Amino acid sequence: MLELRAITRAYELGGERAGVFGVSLEVPQGCLAVIAGPSGSGKTTLLQVAGLLDPPDEGEVWLEGEPVSRLPERARCDLRLRRLGFVFQAFNLVPVLSALENVMLPLHLQGFPPAAARIRATAILERVGLADRRNHRPGQLSGGQQQRVAIARALAPDPALVLADEPTANLDHAHGGPLMELMSELARERGTAFLVASHDPAVIAQAHRVFRLVDGQRVDTA
Amino acid sequence: MILARLALRNLLRQRRRTALTLMVVVAGFVALSLAGGFMAQTFKGLADGAIRGGLGDLQVLPPGHRDGDERQSLERSLPDGEALAAQLRRDPAVAEVLPRTQFMGLISSGPQSVAFLGTAVDPLREPRFMACLDALKDGAKAPGGAGSRWLSADPDAREVILGTGLARALGASVGSSLTLMSTTKAGALNGVDVEVVGLQDLGLKELNDRSLTVSLATAGQLLEAGPARSALSIVLRHPGAAAQEAVRLQALLPGTRVRPWYELATFYRQVKLLYTAIFGFMGLVLFLVVLLATVNTLLMSVLERIREFGVLRALGLQSRQLLSLLQWEGAFLGLLGSGLGLAATLLLRAGLNALHLRMPAPPGTSHGYELDIHFVPLVYVAVALGLQATIQLSALFPGLKAARLRIVEALRHV
Repeated sequence: MLELRAITRAYELGGERAGVFGVSLEVPQGCLAVIAGPSGSGKTTLLQVAGLLDPPDEGEVWLEGEPVSRLPERARCDLRLRRLGFVFQAFNLVPVLSALENVMLPLHLQGFPPAAARIRATAILERVGLADRRNHRPGQLSGGQQQRVAIARALAPDPALVLADEPTANLDHAHGGPLMELMSELARERGTAFLVASHDPAVIAQAHRVFRLVDGQRVDTA
Repeated sequence: MILARLALRNLLRQRRRTALTLMVVVAGFVALSLAGGFMAQTFKGLADGAIRGGLGDLQVLPPGHRDGDERQSLERSLPDGEALAAQLRRDPAVAEVLPRTQFMGLISSGPQSVAFLGTAVDPLREPRFMACLDALKDGAKAPGGAGSRWLSADPDAREVILGTGLARALGASVGSSLTLMSTTKAGALNGVDVEVVGLQDLGLKELNDRSLTVSLATAGQLLEAGPARSALSIVLRHPGAAAQEAVRLQALLPGTRVRPWYELATFYRQVKLLYTAIFGFMGLVLFLVVLLATVNTLLMSVLERIREFGVLRALGLQSRQLLSLLQWEGAFLGLLGSGLGLAATLLLRAGLNALHLRMPAPPGTSHGYELDIHFVPLVYVAVALGLQATIQLSALFPGLKAARLRIVEALRHV
């Protein structure tokens, strides 16, 4: 489903060379995979390359059997819209839209008819347990609820892969654990692959597959 | 439509900033629209003054006529102006034809002699279409003007109406007897005794100091010009068709020159040019103010939402859609600003007109006028379109800035 082949993405940080260097990994369909590692190990950089937000310096990203990281930005943007979903550490919902409208947003961008988008977004919100909060704006929701809306938004276009960067970092244990259980269930139910960057042991405990990074290099045995 | 909804809600998110920008747009709209209404009043007043001051909608002139050359008044004339006038009166587009003779000479009260510019008119037809009675009414208020009346239709009556300045120079008043002296068409010196029956205020000091009006019969005796006329003023049934009628009548009257009023109204054209330049400059400044205010608002809004834009781009929003989002925000600012501006303009216009304010006399004219800002929908549409274009332009720069953001940097933005 997702395959990273010898990815290198380097940048200067405080006069030192940082990033990821020659990392390869594979995430099959329906798998909840975690990139684990300490801060500065290159988790977010790898996730951004895998999510087609940043092109690699070397190596190639394969998505559903196609090399995609060298595509023009317009085509990568379209792939992000249709085949990828994103969950961010700080939730990053659009503050002026309600929970339902946030979930409908990628569907609108795909050109879904409004009624169909509403039905699908409502169903996903129900699945993440937020049907009764659908008309609330992000500011009226707790952190855990916002992150669940973000997961619903990521899943709305029925993507092949959801990328989540430290999704539990802004949540306490009471909310972080259930959130990861939800991701694990969704991966199983829908066959969606999840690639999560985290150093949280509770997240790593839910993973079907763990890739460990240290100083931008993979240190686990494949 | 999601972009439009997002744009509208983003504007509402920063209500105070949006309100301030809207105030600038509204102020721009009001200033430009009121100025447009004032200009329309001025141009209409000047146009009416020129047309009803004697030019008519069209003028039929001798072929060699040149603007402002009084010496040619009878040397080059329409040889049988009266017959031509009779022919034109049968034209269905023509409401009336007013023959006139321009001449110059000396007018004497005995001790005082002053050069004059005379106009001879048909005393019966002229008051029905021209503003001569208004000029007479204003002249009656001047010293010596009491009892002013229009020229008698009697062809034997030898009467004159003097400009207020000319009367003052001669020490004449209504009832005074004066002598007009000029050269006949053949070049001989001739004189006619006339009685002052009225004073006229033509609105321009230079005209009041030099002009007088007599009947065509009086001028005929003085100039011995027979049926020759300097010009024919044509009043059209549809004044808006002056340009087309000028072309049509020119084809019918090959031995003459037919010109629409606006080509001959030098003062009108000069004032129009001046006002257009002044208000054009003012408009440019206002558009610039609106441009800067909107750029500022939208740029601030972009800088505050860099992370949000990064998320939207990550979710699959194309950079051109981000550009559209900012254009939508500009569109709402423009629409809302113009709507409020129109309401404010109509209110202010009604209020100002209700005050019956007297405006000072414009340069070169002798009396002021009442402020009456015209209702000109075309001006409102033009101002709204101009402001909308300015705002869309101003949304372009912040939009491009947002569209060029690197997603990973935008996501890191705090």
